[in-house]
Amino acid sequence: MWLPALFLVLGLILGFLTNITIPDIYANYLSIAVLAALDTLFGGIRAQLEDKFDQKVFITGFFFNVSLAAFLAFLGVQLGIDLYLAAIFAFGVRLFQNLAIIRRLLLEKYRFIKK
Amino acid sequence: MKSRKLIFAFVFFVLGFLLTFSYQYTKSKNEVTQLSEKDWEQDYYYRQQLIELEDKNKQLRNELANIRQEIQTQEQELANEADVLKDLVDQKLNLQKLVGELSVSGDGVAVTLSDSSYIPEEEHANQYIVHDRHIHQVVNELYSAGAKAIAINGQRIYRHSSISCVGPVISIDGNNFPAPFVITAIGDQHTLEVSLNLQNGVVDNLVQDNVEVKLEKKSNIEMLARET
Repeated sequence: MWLPALFLVLGLILGFLTNITIPDIYANYLSIAVLAALDTLFGGIRAQLEDKFDQKVFITGFFFNVSLAAFLAFLGVQLGIDLYLAAIFAFGVRLFQNLAIIRRLLLEKYRFIKK
Repeated sequence: MKSRKLIFAFVFFVLGFLLTFSYQYTKSKNEVTQLSEKDWEQDYYYRQQLIELEDKNKQLRNELANIRQEIQTQEQELANEADVLKDLVDQKLNLQKLVGELSVSGDGVAVTLSDSSYIPEEEHANQYIVHDRHIHQVVNELYSAGAKAIAINGQRIYRHSSISCVGPVISIDGNNFPAPFVITAIGDQHTLEVSLNLQNGVVDNLVQDNVEVKLEKKSNIEMLARET
């Protein structure tokens, strides 16, 4: 478990070090990217705990979700509708679902160990 | 298992990067907006002050221009007044010279009238001497020819002078003078001479009245002011 933690720290440091300012209209894309990363991560953890983890699903899910969300945001900007909200909503709902499942799985595991 | 960890590490890396990046981004954006919001009132205040100052400046500049204009007009007035004063002084001087309150000097002519040297026995001597009317003629002619000042035998003639015969002499303002009479006049020499020498003019008349007339140009004639 050391490698992911190390990379997380590395990513944090890199994020701090980068001093790029992006235009306001791309702020939506950034929020979607963050949500997509979180969603993928929790999805992956859940799959791990359910022993259903598939690398291909994981990776393709990550990129496909991100690109779909970005496309929605782009379309929203073009049409003047806040379509990126749909992506955020979907990601948020899935985030909570995944978290709930992870929590249950962990609780069951804990009980199982205790017994 | 190894590759799985690598993938997790990759996702964690991306997540960390995105998190800190967006955090920084929002922080800087907030800072900017906060700063501008805080500065807004100050900015507005300073702008207001600047506008007020500029307004005041403009007003003062206008005032300055007005005052300069005023000063200029006043100076002009002063200069005009000075000019008028100078004209008046000149005029006064001229008038004083004319009425004899000041001494006059200049070029002019001198007319000498003397009694005829030859008086025939059978004629009356009265016909051959200079009378006051002869002098009147000469003086009037000289004045009408533009003489500035006239004197007879050094006695200056004024506007109210009297010339009259008293026996063999002529009384001018109470002073008696014998012949010959030298009438000096200051003025334009040419004009005076020509007007005296007109045909059937003064000189011709005088000669017909048996008066000896001598006309000469003189320069730098001096006439004193009235003594009173």
